[in-house]
Amino acid sequence: MALLEVKNIYKSFGGVKAIQDFSLEADAGQILGIIGPNGAGKTTIFNVISGVYPADQGTVILNGQDITKMEQYRITRLGMGRTFQNIRLFKGLTVQENVMCAFDPKSQYKILGGLLPTPRRRSEEKRGREQCMKYLEVVGMADYADERPENLSYGMQRRVEIARALMCEPKVLLLDEPAAGLNPTEVSELTELIQRISKEIGFGILLIEHRLELVMSISHLIHVQNFGKTIAVGTPAQVQHDPQVIEAYLGKEE
Amino acid sequence: MFLGEATKQMSLQIVINGLATGSVYALIATGFALIFNILKFSNFSHGATMTAAAFTAYFLVAAKGGGLAATLLAAALAGALIALFGEFFGFRRITLKHSSPTYFFVSSITLGTLYEGLVTIRVGSNFYNFPSFFKNPTIRISGLVISTGDAMMCIISLVALILLAYVIQKTRLGRALRAVSFDRDTAQLMGINSTRIIQLTFVISGLLAGAAGTFLGIKYTLYPTLGSLVVKGFIASVIGGLGSLVGAVIGAVLLGLIETLLLSLLGSGYSTIATFGIMLVFLLVRPQGIAGSNIQEKA
Repeated sequence: MALLEVKNIYKSFGGVKAIQDFSLEADAGQILGIIGPNGAGKTTIFNVISGVYPADQGTVILNGQDITKMEQYRITRLGMGRTFQNIRLFKGLTVQENVMCAFDPKSQYKILGGLLPTPRRRSEEKRGREQCMKYLEVVGMADYADERPENLSYGMQRRVEIARALMCEPKVLLLDEPAAGLNPTEVSELTELIQRISKEIGFGILLIEHRLELVMSISHLIHVQNFGKTIAVGTPAQVQHDPQVIEAYLGKEE
Repeated sequence: MFLGEATKQMSLQIVINGLATGSVYALIATGFALIFNILKFSNFSHGATMTAAAFTAYFLVAAKGGGLAATLLAAALAGALIALFGEFFGFRRITLKHSSPTYFFVSSITLGTLYEGLVTIRVGSNFYNFPSFFKNPTIRISGLVISTGDAMMCIISLVALILLAYVIQKTRLGRALRAVSFDRDTAQLMGINSTRIIQLTFVISGLLAGAAGTFLGIKYTLYPTLGSLVVKGFIASVIGGLGSLVGAVIGAVLLGLIETLLLSLLGSGYSTIATFGIMLVFLLVRPQGIAGSNIQEKA
């Protein structure tokens, strides 16, 4: 059984069929790419998987547990982390506080117990800060722990967002266009980072991306979406030569 | 300029009275700003929550001979329970549905009217006085005469505000509260139970409302529409910069000082008009408030 199983999900908004019969299986250590033109329903797939809204039909199973209708925060605690197409860090919180937010639900003291400065709280806060620094180190942002995210460059904010997602200790990590708005140097650094965490931490990664050079170079398997439907599934080499994919991207040859 | 000894005493007196009034306004303003921060609407049931909590404490504790501490505690707890009730029946569903602020506005006014109605049924339109909690109603410190009530108000409010700052800046609850205030949905996706955090924010706001209601009751009297004084809290949080807790406290103290000063200069009739006039001009000059920023965000 795969770590993440998405079985035949459907999702419509009014008359728009955003996802039709989408299925996917992801295992630990795998990187799965999801590509397709704008409006193909890629982010909707992420939103259904992470519980932002439930699927109209179909099931999502994480690590053997049905999470189709589960509340978002529970799904996250079961082992799902994600980043966003438009960066969604908490402004007004420091980088470290942003990352710590994702640690808090897992800490060994209750939220009300945390109002009192007990030894347990002190040790848990310390454990949290250590983990936080570890993940900031992984993404190369440890020097900016006390900085406000709004003062950082776009590429740095992306890295902080990834650190925050890692702090959720995910079994499956969803990366929604992590390279959007990055310059070529930053893209190659990001490519290296994704491959490194995939190897070191060994979770399943789903990657939505428009930068084909990034997806093609690191994905084990690629799903190509167009108008809510899956038009091809295969290795990078296979989908690159699929006539339907070429048509979706370049238009039909007359 | 030469200030006579008597004038100096007078002005010190005004400052102390102003601080006492301001500290109560600060309790109102922060309770109000907390909810504004997390759900982005002005909670118009906050005033009636204050009244209902203060009356509950009056009947259950003060009228039976309880002291100030017991009364305050009872009022704070009552405020928290009322706020929890309001959160569940008035706001939970529209929060989960991401309804527009108009619904929150209507819901909060409805709740406020309901609380006020319930209080009126119980007490009629009578005025109630808290028993005098202090053996000596005034304290003399080197020629200054300070009302014991005012002094206690200042001290207790200050302690409450310091505790609030500690919770918000230093604890896990505060961190979650700030995250949810900034972006509820993202917080949820980071494993934070936003509904629980919103609930706890209402509890804190209710605790503050209960304490503020009791202090207003001590300072003036208890009556069913006492909650209308919440307007002072609203104004203070707007002057301070809506949503900023520090701003709300600064705005409240400033409002208290100005009000007391004008009261001593102009008498009660014109002072209200002058206070509101100053506030209007202030908002015209600096609509974002003291702590508010107008920095444009990069698109």
